[in-house]
Amino acid sequence: MKSFAGLTYYDILNIPANSSFIEIKRAYRDVLAIYNDDSLATYALFPSDERDNLLKTIEGAFSTLIDKGKRVAYDRMLVRSGQVDKSILSREEKKKPIPLFHGKNLTKEDDLVGRVKRKYIEKKVKKLSKNILSKDLISGNDLEALRKAIGIEISEIHVVTKVSIAVLKAIENNQFEDLPSGFYLRNFLKSYSEILQIDSQKIIDGYLKNISHVQKNG
Amino acid sequence: MPVIYPISSGKGGVGKSFIAASIGTLFAKLGKKVVLVDLDLGASNLHTLLGIKNPKNGLNSFLNQTVKKLDRVAVPTIVSNLFFINSLYCSMEIANLYHTQKLKIIRAITKLPFDYIILDLGAGSNFNTLDFFSTSQEGIIICTPEPTSIENCFRFIKAAYLRKLKQIIKRHAFNSAVKNTVFSPNKTKMEAPDIIDVVLKHDPDRENFLKNKLSEFKFKLIINQFRKNIDETLGDKIETVCNRHFYSNFQFLGNISYDERIPESVVSKNIYVNKYPYTTSSADLKKITEKIIKSRRLTSQASKVS
Repeated sequence: MKSFAGLTYYDILNIPANSSFIEIKRAYRDVLAIYNDDSLATYALFPSDERDNLLKTIEGAFSTLIDKGKRVAYDRMLVRSGQVDKSILSREEKKKPIPLFHGKNLTKEDDLVGRVKRKYIEKKVKKLSKNILSKDLISGNDLEALRKAIGIEISEIHVVTKVSIAVLKAIENNQFEDLPSGFYLRNFLKSYSEILQIDSQKIIDGYLKNISHVQKNG
Repeated sequence: MPVIYPISSGKGGVGKSFIAASIGTLFAKLGKKVVLVDLDLGASNLHTLLGIKNPKNGLNSFLNQTVKKLDRVAVPTIVSNLFFINSLYCSMEIANLYHTQKLKIIRAITKLPFDYIILDLGAGSNFNTLDFFSTSQEGIIICTPEPTSIENCFRFIKAAYLRKLKQIIKRHAFNSAVKNTVFSPNKTKMEAPDIIDVVLKHDPDRENFLKNKLSEFKFKLIINQFRKNIDETLGDKIETVCNRHFYSNFQFLGNISYDERIPESVVSKNIYVNKYPYTTSSADLKKITEKIIKSRRLTSQASKVS
């Protein structure tokens, strides 16, 4: 009779090499149900020393495969000896959760920053931003003009800064009653300015001054 | 070419004759020409199950040469297309057949003009049974879900496997070192793994040939007298473990539920599947018959391809 010689631990448990922890546990239980001492299915099939050897091998297979470190080492050994395909080694990385918003957005941000930077080479844009910074009162219209000169959309700013589109619109349209109070507004203006690559402190000061000016004279 | 299905078991009284009669009946009802041959020499009673009271000629007439051809002694049964050859009047010593007689019977059986030939064999691993069992590559083994029966079932499988292994070595070209070691008279107790080791050692080129030859054998297993409280996957487990540890193929055909009407129909000398065609046990038997035909179709397709 054939023994387990030449079989991998995965073969012994009768599972594919990319099985999960739960699948390994279940397979172990099923295999034990066949080979265990009190199993009717193999009653008197194996001499007792042979059964002991088989059970020892099964035990070894299980204790290796449920231990993460041991399993990785065992997989490497299998790949090196050519018994299984290389693809099982990448299993560990594949099973990790994919981070939300990771990857795509990062490149978008880089993209946006680069685009804005390239725009600043144009004299028109440079002049406009200087013009805005020299003002004492800065209104939403100034910011909107700069944004349009650079050529980006409100929605693009929203994707990167996570500031809601309604708030961004309210900033540009001077709808002060729709804007949040001081601390939040400062932060929103800071994010907005950073995207347009303009001195955020000056913008915040100028914008807040403009608000109190309008409200006083309103 | 007829298909031969020998039916045997490790232990007696597990329902070999009952299953032979049932499967034969079901094959016949599918329009196949079927003959049941009672080869449980010295303990034959298949005729009783078929409701045939006093069969006249049988295997004995063929052996003492009153008839020339074996199909002359095949008698019809109450099921159309189903025929029967008895061994009732073979002399009392027939349980120990001479080798030449055995070969004569085997040769005659393989020439019978039927679609399906079902051999109802005796229990246990004596040479007669094993040699009749080896006439086909698709022997059916019956056992019941009890340790005693399963123990003998494995013993039978091992004995049949060993017999086939020796047959392969005898009939094919293995070098003399192998043949001498395997068939030397002083080594009486050689198990299957030992023989495979001998081949590996002395004739390693023939290893794959031997394994291929062994894999041509397709043992089939049926669990009879199956009751509700028993592990349903028992047969599948036996199939798995045998496929793993032998080089031959094993197929579990199914469980046959226990039914009190089975012994009752034996007592009243009726064919159970004929009298109670719609019981659970009959459904089990039908499923098994379909599975046999299906696997037959697959193997014949495979052999055509190759």
